[in-house]
Amino acid sequence: MTNFSVLFQKEWRENVRNFKILWIPLVFLLIGITEPLMNYYLPQILGAVGNMPDGAVFQLPEFTPEQILMTTIGQYQIIGMLVVTLGFAGIIARERKNGTATLLYVRPISYFSYVSSKLFIMSIIVIGSVILGILASLYYTYILFGAVDASSFIGFLGTYIVWLLFVISIVLFSSAVFSTGIASAVSLLLVIFAQLIDGLLGTYWTISPYKLPMYAGYVLTGSADVTPFVWSLVVTILVSVVLIIGAVFFAKRNVAKAKI
Amino acid sequence: MNTLLHVEALTKAYGSEVAVDHVSFSLNKNTSTALIGPNGAGKTTTLSMLAGLLKQTTGMIALDGVLAADIRKEIGFLPQYPQFYSWLTALEFTEMTAKLSGVDAKLAKQEAIKTLEFVGLSSVLNKKTGTFSGGMRQRLGLAQAIVHKPALLLLDEPVSALDPIGRREIMNLLKKLQATTTILYSTHILNDAEEMTDQLLFLRKGQLVEQGSLKEVRKKFENPMYKMYFQDSEEAAQFVEASPWPARQEGSIAFIHIEDAKPAMNEVLLELANSHLQVLKVERASASLEEIFLQVVNNV
Repeated sequence: MTNFSVLFQKEWRENVRNFKILWIPLVFLLIGITEPLMNYYLPQILGAVGNMPDGAVFQLPEFTPEQILMTTIGQYQIIGMLVVTLGFAGIIARERKNGTATLLYVRPISYFSYVSSKLFIMSIIVIGSVILGILASLYYTYILFGAVDASSFIGFLGTYIVWLLFVISIVLFSSAVFSTGIASAVSLLLVIFAQLIDGLLGTYWTISPYKLPMYAGYVLTGSADVTPFVWSLVVTILVSVVLIIGAVFFAKRNVAKAKI
Repeated sequence: MNTLLHVEALTKAYGSEVAVDHVSFSLNKNTSTALIGPNGAGKTTTLSMLAGLLKQTTGMIALDGVLAADIRKEIGFLPQYPQFYSWLTALEFTEMTAKLSGVDAKLAKQEAIKTLEFVGLSSVLNKKTGTFSGGMRQRLGLAQAIVHKPALLLLDEPVSALDPIGRREIMNLLKKLQATTTILYSTHILNDAEEMTDQLLFLRKGQLVEQGSLKEVRKKFENPMYKMYFQDSEEAAQFVEASPWPARQEGSIAFIHIEDAKPAMNEVLLELANSHLQVLKVERASASLEEIFLQVVNNV
């Protein structure tokens, strides 16, 4: 396992030096701040630039703090996940393609450590960014809309982190199996497109990884139905573990595809 | 046992296409072996299998007489076009590869610095590898291959992409390594093979068509002859006609083949002296390695 720390140091240096460690948190932070601000100032913004006829009255719904946090998650589900899938689709495939991985693969490395080093750096960046963004969102929500229950918030955040691990496993697995381009397409399909499908047809089932973000919202408002929620968590964690084991298997199997 | 590596009936097939076909050879400790063959002969495939990057379809690779599942610990590999993480410095990269190859973490940095000094990169230790020139990349590639002091060094076309100066420098480094390391390198530059080789392996279409020491191969294929340069082709023709030995002519040059050291040089000279022809130069020539290469690769 000493390999792990060496490989992780390499991943760390890469993501520091290509500024991923900076710009990905910034994206999530920006979205997290914008959502409460936009929702709060929407009447004023409309009044200032909306070119409204005199006397027009808009009845905007009163948002609860929980709803504001959920709109932030809504943004993360599309824009955030787009950044994650496209930003990391090449994490294994690219170094195989450009030949840099060859000089790793000729050494007695463990492929479990190799994949773990990638899993860790992705988790740190992605989960770190989301926590940062949601805390910023929480701060502005608290100022502008009011407080949320602390323990519900922690449950909500924890649930969403399990969803993020699922997304990370999908991207990692695709990158281990496919080339960068196909890995991007597959992860987009499995992360973003599948959300839409689950949203459209999902009334027929209640246990699904894609429902976790929604259940996270229920946890926040204290209205979660425990059985489907817990089962969704269990299924998501199991699928993620299988995907990571699959990534190790394919990373090793695809060594021969590394450019020499 | 003085054998370090033993390869038996090594075969790599992609579907019906056989890239390497039942190749068998052994390498003795601290010897240098050149793997020679035209492009597409299976040199890189063979080296990749030895380096553990490709799994052989059938056949056996044994290091130090032991059937090794993971022989990567004892191997240093330099690909033809080594690629580096452009955002790492030469020292960071070499230190990382040292650690991954099992060098003690405390010694890795020191070993990396020593190795980079050895290959002549001590002035760019902390430069990012992305800025390196072709020659520097090859040196760095060599550094990562030898930093863990492997028993077996595999080099894929180590000098093919370099200019004459870079080539000379890398060859000199390899010669220094020869004393302590078993080296197997592929090349199609025969001069290099001639310079630093205990054993030659000729590959052609995936098959080992000829092997032996430089001396043995030479002897088998050298085809010794006398070459006589005349003033013009007419004189050469006259000589060939009058010659008591079978001779042939190409332009103004006449050839006499030597078999079992006959005829002797002085007999030929005497013949020439008596002929009153204008001879400019006489030499005993044998096929260069390049000619032998062509002969082996084309005619077998």
